[in-house]
Amino acid sequence: MSTTLAKPAPRAPDARTAAPTAPARASGPTFEPVYRRIIRRETHSPRSLVAIVLAALLILALAWVGTEIVIALLGAPALLVAPVDMFTSTVGLADAPAAIVAAAGIGAAVIGLVLVIVALSPGRRARHVLASERTAVVVDNEVIASALARHASFAGNVDPDNASVSVSHRRAVVHLTPTSGIPVDRDEVTAETERRLAGYGLSPAVTARVHIAESGRIGA
Amino acid sequence: MNSTNRVANRLLVLIVGLLLVVVAAAAAAAVLIPTVRDAWKAIAGDVNAQVASWLQATPLGDTGVSWIMPAVLVVIVLAVILLVVFIVRQGRGHTRTVLSERTSEHGRTEVESALAANALEDAIGSRPEFIASHVSAYRVRRTPVLKIAVTCRRGVSPKDAADIVDDAVRALDELLGRPLPALVQISGGFRSRTGSSTRLQ
Repeated sequence: MSTTLAKPAPRAPDARTAAPTAPARASGPTFEPVYRRIIRRETHSPRSLVAIVLAALLILALAWVGTEIVIALLGAPALLVAPVDMFTSTVGLADAPAAIVAAAGIGAAVIGLVLVIVALSPGRRARHVLASERTAVVVDNEVIASALARHASFAGNVDPDNASVSVSHRRAVVHLTPTSGIPVDRDEVTAETERRLAGYGLSPAVTARVHIAESGRIGA
Repeated sequence: MNSTNRVANRLLVLIVGLLLVVVAAAAAAAVLIPTVRDAWKAIAGDVNAQVASWLQATPLGDTGVSWIMPAVLVVIVLAVILLVVFIVRQGRGHTRTVLSERTSEHGRTEVESALAANALEDAIGSRPEFIASHVSAYRVRRTPVLKIAVTCRRGVSPKDAADIVDDAVRALDELLGRPLPALVQISGGFRSRTGSSTRLQ
């Protein structure tokens, strides 16, 4: 099947296309709840990897304990530890070698603390929402950075290889290394970066900060 | 986009984390802090005796075994089944139908997501701004939603990329006669880092 989508004509050539354009605009707000949900989910981590790994480890541990119980009920020798020994050694923990128990306990507590933090922190992804009329758009920070680097290097009259940009949640930091002998107009670069950022309509908003290296570079 | 239950994910991580902290801290305290150690030892004997009496008080028929062990086994099997279901439930929510409408008295019209995907990928795939594009459909709160994932060439303005996809989606709206909610995901990634950059326009 080959279907070609042409850019929609600004005027409606027949009744078939004229009809949906009006509802399309009117139904924009009806997508709002769906878009809000999608955008929240696309900009935050689902914590699936951690949850799946934990569930798999739990399954392994439970399967092992279950097998030991079955073996003990059949009266056969245990695979590793018999259930009765598991219980008595847990209860008699205080008599075990202190150094090993303490080290293992502190290690496990740290892992547990990390898991609690993972569970409760928002887990924002390195993405921004871009303003759009028709669709919900999420952009990786990396894409914003590479676009800003191109524009900043053009505005500052610097080779693209000497411009680097890093974009975080609320800040875009532009680093330019001027070509020796050619000064870079910082205000112009800042204005151009700010203008581009404003054009993207990112949410949360990103502010630009421009750093220009003290010493230039030759041959670039 | 998918129907993964994120609250359940976080809940599992939280519960395991809290259990680990509590149990591990208790174990460490039992060997490190003398008062806790003494208390632990004092209770240990009673606990052993108590559990032994429970095991004797709950015989399973005349086999001489307590039914507590098989009961624990059943609980373990149930927990394993729950966890397997939990893992399998991750990442679901794809749909093969993007539109389903009762168009006449005699039947309904269904539009498969492959149609929307082919149409959009045809329109977007040949654009020089993009290295790759992939269209899929998900069901979000019972509404079919298109997901259009594009990988940009280095230096492409995300606004331009979004506008190109927006135009294609609007054209699809006209083709179908119905607007579909759509998510556009613009990413960079390895191929855009190693590939050639875009030209200045």
